[in-house]
Amino acid sequence: MTANNSDHWWGQFQLSEHSVLEWQLGPLTLRCRYLNGEWQIGYQRAREDNDDQDSDWQRGPSDAPPDALEHCARYVFNHTNGQLHVMPQLPDRALVSRPRQPFNLIAGEEVLVYVSAPLWLTLDVGEKHQRLDDLAIQRPSDTWFGPSTLEGELCYATRSHCRRSLDELPRRPHRAIIPVLIRNHSDSLLPLERVAIPARSLPLYVAEDQRLWTPSVILERERDGDMAALRIDDKPPTEAGRCHPLASPRDTSSSKLFRAFNTLFKASTS
Amino acid sequence: MSDLWTDITVYLSSDKLWDTSRALVLVVVGFVLAKAVSSLLVRVSKRRLDAHGQQLLQRGSYYLILVVFLISALHELGFNLSVLLGAAGILTVALGFASQTSASNLISGLFLVAERSFGVGDVIRVGTTTGEVLSIDLLSVKLRTFDNLFVRIPNESLIKSEVTTVTRFPIRRLDIMIGVAYNEDLKKVQAVLDDVADKNPLCLEEPKPLYIFMSFGESSMDLQYSVWAKRENFLDLKNSIHREIKEAFDANGIEIPFPQRTVHHITHGGPIPHSEQHAPD
Repeated sequence: MTANNSDHWWGQFQLSEHSVLEWQLGPLTLRCRYLNGEWQIGYQRAREDNDDQDSDWQRGPSDAPPDALEHCARYVFNHTNGQLHVMPQLPDRALVSRPRQPFNLIAGEEVLVYVSAPLWLTLDVGEKHQRLDDLAIQRPSDTWFGPSTLEGELCYATRSHCRRSLDELPRRPHRAIIPVLIRNHSDSLLPLERVAIPARSLPLYVAEDQRLWTPSVILERERDGDMAALRIDDKPPTEAGRCHPLASPRDTSSSKLFRAFNTLFKASTS
Repeated sequence: MSDLWTDITVYLSSDKLWDTSRALVLVVVGFVLAKAVSSLLVRVSKRRLDAHGQQLLQRGSYYLILVVFLISALHELGFNLSVLLGAAGILTVALGFASQTSASNLISGLFLVAERSFGVGDVIRVGTTTGEVLSIDLLSVKLRTFDNLFVRIPNESLIKSEVTTVTRFPIRRLDIMIGVAYNEDLKKVQAVLDDVADKNPLCLEEPKPLYIFMSFGESSMDLQYSVWAKRENFLDLKNSIHREIKEAFDANGIEIPFPQRTVHHITHGGPIPHSEQHAPD
């Protein structure tokens, strides 16, 4: 059993027959077994996981079978080799984060906050990268983002708060950092209660310190009302240092320019 | 025998055979063309129309083409169409009187289609029946219930009665009725419930769970705790959150009481002593 890199939890791995490779990644335990013409993928998540603490990861061979875990699935192939590709990916819905305490953004000012995004991992096998699974490392809560229960969008709620300082963010290998720059071009205060980020449209980068980053998301409140133009930077943030691209966005079709204050960016206007 | 043979030869030598053949060809062509055109229209409109719209387009185009070809076939057979249409008018009036219920269903069906309260594939509840809509026809709506029964509901009943479309909106609220013992701290109960909702990933963070004190019941303080879920996760949430609430209550020593009666057992016979009777007003 070989792994091409031990600095990070993702990558390409070659499993010999009947061997099991196990990951301990945040709350997730993942086991992959390769048999002749078959893959067995088992996983379970710990119920308790403190998002405000640093965490580490482990990977190694295991004697325990995947079906000893809570969820297990078998994938049968006519021809396959023991090649396994494990890659991080951003969530498949928009993410909603809130500051620890709601704050007001003064007219004409801007603020930079960092959002810690939960990651998914994709499991592909073989030379053709055939997809076996796309699972959340830590299953975030569902949430609704919109002015009413009739109008809005189903999103994921990040359990951690967005922070104004990068140092306040815990180092967790199964989460990515999304810098969000909010500019208030209007003449009134912008009460900031929750921020929604279109995670589906964001690519993923890895920095030299193995932290995962996305490009900056810029939300600009227009002068003429409660609309926000949303722009996604086309390069990784400067504070991340040197970065390499790791995963492309899930949704490449959407434009980088939105006007979506009510659905993507909610302020408590009452 | 010779008369019959003479009749057959006369018929075969007349124009009637040719007219009948043409009428038959028209009917066959009509069937084939109606089938082909209606299928083609559905294929073309697949992206623009929902399942119900496609069904309507398919049936509408099929019957329209078929009727045109049938009328042409009748014309070929020598029927006078104006007389036929006049007779059809009289027949319609007669039928209208005779089949008021069907006519009412028909009109109700048109209203249902125009109103678009639900479509094919939606789950609706009518009275005590809940099921997936299989088709919305001119006379009735067909449902498949979750225990796999086929239910036909006349359109007239649907127009008159309350219909709930379960799958209309993407999120749903689950109301959980809970009774806790009178000696429990309600603040603690609410905190435990909030914690359960917070830890269940299927429970929506926003809209926030709703906590309502309902009443001082006979045996318990009755509460309503309402949580929201994605429509598809509704049943999963219903199953998981009830279990989690029970586990959390057990872990925190919160009692869910059952109905209680206080019974006084009188050991000695004879009438109930005056001290154990209620004092008169």
